[in-house]
Amino acid sequence: MDAVEKANLERQKRWAKDQKVGEGAYAVVYRGREFATGRKVAIKKIKVGQFKDGLDMSAIREVKYLRELRHQNVIELLDVFSSKTNLNLVLEFLDSDLEMIIKDRSLVFLPADIKSWMAMTFRGLEFCHRNFILHRDLKPNNLLVASDGHLKIADFGLARDFADPGYKMTCQVITRWYRPPELLFGSRYYGSAVDIWSVGTIFAELMLRIPYLPGESDMDQLKTIFRALGTPTEEDWPGHTKLPDYIPVGQFPKTPLRDLFTAASADALNLLNKCLIYEPRKRISAKEALFHPYFTALPYPTHPSKLPKCTTHLSARALEEVDGNVEMNSTGPGVKANNSRLKRKLSSPDEDSKARLIARRLDFTKQTPHS
Amino acid sequence: MLTVEPAPSASPTPKRPIYESSTQFRNWRFSPEQLSQLRSTLNASAVAVIRNTLENEKPGSSSVVSFLTVEEEHLLVKLYVTKITQLCGLFRFPEEVEATAITYLKRFYLKNTVMDWHPKNVMLTALFLATKTTNNPISLEAYTTHIPKTAPSDVLDLEFLVAQSLGFEFAVWHSHRALWGMILDMQNIPDCPSDTKPIYESALAHVRASRLTDAELVYTPSQIALAALSLAAPEVASQWSLSKSPSEPSSSLLSSETLHAVVETIKSLITSAGHPPHVEAVREVDRRLKLCKNPEKIVGSHAYLAKKAEEEKKAEAKRNKKASETSQAMKDGDPFGNELIKAPIGLVDYDDEDDD
Ligand SMILES: Nc1ncnc2c1ncn2[C@@H]1O[C@H](COP(=O)(O)OP(=O)(O)OP(=O)(O)O)[C@@H](O)[C@H]1O
Ligand SMILES: [Mg+2]
Repeated sequence: MDAVEKANLERQKRWAKDQKVGEGAYAVVYRGREFATGRKVAIKKIKVGQFKDGLDMSAIREVKYLRELRHQNVIELLDVFSSKTNLNLVLEFLDSDLEMIIKDRSLVFLPADIKSWMAMTFRGLEFCHRNFILHRDLKPNNLLVASDGHLKIADFGLARDFADPGYKMTCQVITRWYRPPELLFGSRYYGSAVDIWSVGTIFAELMLRIPYLPGESDMDQLKTIFRALGTPTEEDWPGHTKLPDYIPVGQFPKTPLRDLFTAASADALNLLNKCLIYEPRKRISAKEALFHPYFTALPYPTHPSKLPKCTTHLSARALEEVDGNVEMNSTGPGVKANNSRLKRKLSSPDEDSKARLIARRLDFTKQTPHS
Repeated sequence: MLTVEPAPSASPTPKRPIYESSTQFRNWRFSPEQLSQLRSTLNASAVAVIRNTLENEKPGSSSVVSFLTVEEEHLLVKLYVTKITQLCGLFRFPEEVEATAITYLKRFYLKNTVMDWHPKNVMLTALFLATKTTNNPISLEAYTTHIPKTAPSDVLDLEFLVAQSLGFEFAVWHSHRALWGMILDMQNIPDCPSDTKPIYESALAHVRASRLTDAELVYTPSQIALAALSLAAPEVASQWSLSKSPSEPSSSLLSSETLHAVVETIKSLITSAGHPPHVEAVREVDRRLKLCKNPEKIVGSHAYLAKKAEEEKKAEAKRNKKASETSQAMKDGDPFGNELIKAPIGLVDYDDEDDD
C-alpha cells in the first residue's frame, strides 16, 4: 500500500463512528469519538460517488477554509480522511445551535445572554474576515453551541475568499431571511458587509425570538426589509437603483427600531442599526462592532457556561425532523409567531437546500469562471 | 529548518501573522537539504518495492531494469509543470488556478514518486482540483472533452489520492499575489516610477519562472516576490524593502543583510533553474519510465490483477466475519423468541454499508 493511503488509514483508525445524528443537504453526520482520548466528535460523511464532477464544491470549501482557521468561535476541523467513495470530516462535537435555543420556549434570555452570543459571533466573524474569508451563510442554525456554552461559526460550504476586491461573485448566497438587500438586487461585487447584515438579523431574532425579516420569496424579502426599515433613498444608498436586478418594490416609511424592540437598550439598538445600514460600505465591520459601546456597557456579557442551554439535544432534534415530527402544539408568543415557526420548519429547510443547490449549480454553469 | 523567517508583509494589511498560521507555513516549507533527503528516501523505497514486485513475477528480471534517479524524476515533474501552464492557456484559467495546480503537483511528489504515479494523470487531476479549490469550477465533461485522449475517469480516479497527498490542505499562498501587493505599495513610495506596469509585468515573468523551481517549497511568497521584483527593477525592490523595514516588528524580521542574502539566493535559483527542461532529455526519461514503472499500478498487468485479487480476498473475509457476527448475535437472542432478534438488525446502519 502507498504511504499516502497508509497515512489515510492511520488517520481513519483514530476515530470511532457511532450513531447517526443528522443529515444535511450533502452529508450525513454521525456522533463519534477519538479512540485514544474518548473525546466526543462529529463525523460528517460526504458521499463523493454521487457527484459526477468529483469532490463537491461545498465539501471543498468547507475543508479548505476550516483547515486554515483556528479560533475559539469557529468550529474546529480535527481531521479529514477518505473511505472508499466518502470524504469524512472530523469536527468538534457541538450540542446545539442558536436556532434551537431561540425556539426553545422554556428558555428566558437576559440582555446579557444576547450580548454574550453576539460577542462570540462577532469574534468568530472578525477572525474569518481578518483571514479574508466570507462566510455567506450565517443564520442561527449555523451558529453551533458547545456544551460549555461557547458559540462557534459552522458550515463553511458557501464560504469564499475575497482578497481581490474586483472579483465578480455569485449573488445566490445566504439563506433568504438573512440575505442583505445588495444581494437581493443582484450585486456581484460585494464584501464582508454581507455577513454583517446576516449578523444584524440574527441579533434582532435573538431579541424578538422569531425571525426578524421572514420574506416568502426573494421579491417579498425586499418588501419585508423595506417595510421594517423603510425604503432606501438615493441618499441612504447611492447607486442602488443601478444594481443589476434593481426593481422598485414600493415606498415604505422609516419606523424607528424602538417601536418593535421595546425592551432593548439604546446601545443595542445603535449597534443593530449599524449592522442594517443599507449602503454596504457604511455598515459596521466586525472589528468595529467589537469596539462598540454595547459590548463594554453594563450588563456585561454572560459567561458562556452560564448561558441558557437547550434541554433537548441537537441529535434528538435532528432525528425528530427526519421523522417529520413537527411540534404543531407548542405554545408561542402569538399567532403570527407560531405561524412563522411552522413555516420555518415545514418549508424553509426545503427552500434552503434548493437555494443551495442553485448556488452550487451556478458554480458549474455560469459563463465567467468566477462566482 | 525554518531558520529563514518570512520577509516583510506584502500588502498594506498586516498579513504576516495570518500567513504564519497557514498550513503552507506550517507544513509545506523545507530546507533544500530536507527536500533532497525526502526525495531520495521516496525514490529508494519505490525502487525497492518495484524491484521486489518484479522479482516475484519473474526472478532475475529486475537486474536489467534501470530505475529513475531523483534528478530524472524531478525533470519529468518539471515538464508537467509546463503542461499545466499550456492547459491553463487553453482554458483561459486565471493565474490563481495555474499557480495552485503547480503547487499541488509539486507537493504531490513530495509524498509519491513518478514511478508509482505518472505525472500526466496527476497533473490533469491536480489542475481539475485546483479549478475547484480556487472557486473557478468547470464541469468534468467540459474539462476532459477539451483535452485529447482523456476520459473523466483519468481525472476522477486520482482525485482522492491527490487530495490525500495534499493532506486536504487546499489553500495556497502565492507569490504573484504578494507581488501585486508590492506594486500597490509602490504607489506610496516617494520617488518611484509613475508607471509601474512594465515593472510589474517583468517581475511577474520572473515569478512565473520561479514556479519551475523549488523556490515555493523553501521560501515565503513575499521573499520570492521580492526576488522577482529585484530581478526586474533592483532599485525599486530595495526602496520597497527600505520603506517596509522600520514598520516591521523586529523580532521576526530578517535583518536586512539576511533578507538580502535570501533574495540573492532566490534570484540565482530563478535564473539557473527557472526554465523548461529540454524535451529530448525528458523523452529519454519517459521512455525508461515505461520499463521501471510499478507494475502494480498499471491497470491490467499481472501484478495489478494479483494485488486486486488480494484486496478482494481481504474484503470478502471481512464481509464473512461481519455476517457471521450478525447471525451469531441473532442466535444468541433466539431462545426467547423474536424480540431480541430485531435489536441487532435494527442497529445496523444501512447508510454505513459502503463504509469501512
Ligand atoms: N459539529 C457538530 N456536532 C454535532 N452535530 C452536528 C455537527 N455538525 C452537524 N451536526 C448535525 O448534523 C446535521 C446536519 O449538519 P450539516 O451541517 O451537514 O447540514 P445542515 O447545516 O443541517 O444543512 P445544510 O447542509 O443544508 O446547511 C445538523 O443539523 C446537526 O444536527
Ligand atoms: Mg447548516
